[in-house]
Amino acid sequence: MRRYIARRVAAFVATLFFVSGLVFVVVRVLPGDPALVIIGAEGSPEVAARLRESLGLNRPILVQYAEWLSRAARGDLGVSLQYDVPVGRLILSRLPVTLPLTVMAAVLMAATALPLGLYAARRHRRAGDYLAMVVSQVGIAIPGFWAGLLLILLFSVHLGWVQSGGFAGWSSGLWPGVRSLLLPAIALGLFQTAVLVRATRSSVLDVLREDYVRTARAKGVSELAVLAKHTLRNAMIPIVTVAGLQLGQLMAGAIILESVFALPGLGRLALGAITARDLPVVQGVTLFVASTIVLINFAVDLLYVVLDPRIRYE
Amino acid sequence: MRHLARLLLVALALAPLASPAAAPAENLVVQVATEPPGLDLTATPASATAGVVFYNVQEALVKVDRHGKIVPWLAERWHTSDNRNYTFFLKRGVRFHNGRELKAADVKFVIDRAMNPETKHPAPANYEAISDIIVKDDYTITFALKNTTANFLLNMARQGSVIYPREAVDTLKSEPIGTGPYKLGEWVRGDRIVLVKNPDYHVKGLPKLDRVTYRFIPDPNAALAALKAGDVDAAMFGLGPEHIPDLQKDPRFQVIVGETTNDVIMSMNNSRKPFTDVRVRRAVTYGINKPEVVKGAMFGFGRVIGTNVDPLNPYFVDMSGAMPYDPAKAKKLLAEAGYPNGFDAVLKVAPQYYYTVRTGEVLADQLQKVGVKIRIEQIEWGQWLSRVWKDADYDLTIIGHAEAWDINNYAKPTYYFRYDSAEFQRLFKESEVTVDDKARRELYVKMQKRLVEDAPVVWLYIHPRLAVTKQGLQGFWKDLPAPAFDLSEVAWVK
Repeated sequence: MRRYIARRVAAFVATLFFVSGLVFVVVRVLPGDPALVIIGAEGSPEVAARLRESLGLNRPILVQYAEWLSRAARGDLGVSLQYDVPVGRLILSRLPVTLPLTVMAAVLMAATALPLGLYAARRHRRAGDYLAMVVSQVGIAIPGFWAGLLLILLFSVHLGWVQSGGFAGWSSGLWPGVRSLLLPAIALGLFQTAVLVRATRSSVLDVLREDYVRTARAKGVSELAVLAKHTLRNAMIPIVTVAGLQLGQLMAGAIILESVFALPGLGRLALGAITARDLPVVQGVTLFVASTIVLINFAVDLLYVVLDPRIRYE
Repeated sequence: MRHLARLLLVALALAPLASPAAAPAENLVVQVATEPPGLDLTATPASATAGVVFYNVQEALVKVDRHGKIVPWLAERWHTSDNRNYTFFLKRGVRFHNGRELKAADVKFVIDRAMNPETKHPAPANYEAISDIIVKDDYTITFALKNTTANFLLNMARQGSVIYPREAVDTLKSEPIGTGPYKLGEWVRGDRIVLVKNPDYHVKGLPKLDRVTYRFIPDPNAALAALKAGDVDAAMFGLGPEHIPDLQKDPRFQVIVGETTNDVIMSMNNSRKPFTDVRVRRAVTYGINKPEVVKGAMFGFGRVIGTNVDPLNPYFVDMSGAMPYDPAKAKKLLAEAGYPNGFDAVLKVAPQYYYTVRTGEVLADQLQKVGVKIRIEQIEWGQWLSRVWKDADYDLTIIGHAEAWDINNYAKPTYYFRYDSAEFQRLFKESEVTVDDKARRELYVKMQKRLVEDAPVVWLYIHPRLAVTKQGLQGFWKDLPAPAFDLSEVAWVK
């Protein structure tokens, strides 16, 4: 196991190195000059040229990358061109929005998809199953941003129960914070919930056809125990795999939903940074998201061992 | 399942009780679409920055007022006897937000810094005419000019000429200090900027609000929802014209429709065939039905124009009828230019500015009828700046030029229009050194006529000011003659 972890850590570092290099090159070969974006169409090209020089953008790309890499290795991700604030501080300041939003969407996803998928599998080819599939199909078909707007219309504009957008901040209390993120989390988790319902149903259906389930039932084991002990646990490996991938997609989905709900999260930071060609921020956020996704995958791999003791990584 | 339903019902029933109380009347929450890319007016000409900082946090010696007139501001008056030496007499007792009194040395420091190429001020050309700045005493300062410069006072009123204390120069980007009616409270990046009342403001009785919060809501539908839900008191930038008719009927809101200096144009690359030929440029102009463009793209909001000078400019001449829609004439001109069957062209637009795409779609449809087949290419703003604005790598493009008094762009052959007219350049140069108002007006009329004749671009319409506020708010400017959003007189009606 120790050797496995060491291998994964090495792979983690290599992945980050690759991702950082790729992003560094991609954002610099994209048409669009950070200096021009900063001074805008009203400024003069001469000023833009001077600004480009002072930002160090005229130097060879390899030199820029090497310098960035050496600073990043020491934990310094540079300073935002747009905000004039250290990138690390900016990312940290956005986490209290994006992290709870993603976690809430994930909890919502798991809490809805697992029972519904299980229920659909149990009621295979009966009305309950068809209804669950229709609901999940609708969830897949509705884009998150549209679901977000519908939720705002209903709960904010018509009913006035929650704010239409923005983030109250955790300093104003737990409930105001949670309330600001409730609608975005529902909109964000909708698509992934629908996908997970289908994955759960399919995986549970496969297990329900296994001989050991039939044996358990024949022994007179209660249906609840059959489902919880014999079925769900054995069905969890593919479900956890799908859910792990979905966590990454939830972070990506946050980019659009944070704009719809005007939330000051990581996604909106990334979007604004790309538009403003704020290269250090784009670089920093991408690296952070890549690290998170690699860590989630690693956690999923470790979870396999917990779920199925037969799995060994040596 | 029944338990869950009950729980949900209870939660939904309790939710309204948990809603926050209405904001006190002295506070204002305004929606803006774009977050400023830094708050330093001497580093960025971004309108998002000016919308927050200019007039509210930082001010200049003189000010363009709500009627478009230059009036004394931090300077209580100015004097010039030869139009080459301007002496400003500063108001006494004006204090910066850090408590220190504004002195003439601060003014010298600020303008010296703007003139220094090392500081990367975005518009150093505005100060090129200055040869010397002499501080006569704490409240008197003289600017000596190299030659007569008609726009000198205007340049001193621009956003890049705001006065700040020298000790705050390093924090202008994130914590600007000035003399304005509001001080920066906090900037929660990505979410909001809060301004708080400056109790020592140099204009008695102002500002009327205690606190102003700018909320960044980029999505127009989300902005509309925030307004209707009562989460914001006013939507300043970001609502589209399609939202206005409904809001005009809603008794909860008042809609402000005014003029701006933002002239929306379709530029033709004058250095690229077939637009090198003036007949082609005129044909394109005749092929466009501008009132229909305003109707189709802007729901009828926006004023049709015929040249660069906007209606808020004192030298405005209505030339909207100079080249009216005439498809037969357009076809004839195209045939004369050697394009009897028309030609193909690519129109590059940046969807960040919604009106460019909509206007482009209407124009493509109209121009097809005279044989000009347009393919619309949507490119992101950063690319637009590089490819169109900097490199002039385009056939056609649409954009709004928000800057006031920007006729000088047509006198620069390297500007992205690539319009090179010796006659126009001569007229412009003359207008820059002519201070007599009547003579200058005549030059401006001549310049505008020259532009209409040469048709380097198609001037389409003035992008309207469309703001919506809750009933009970007053004091907003109707028109925007300057790129500012002055909130000093805004108040709730008691």
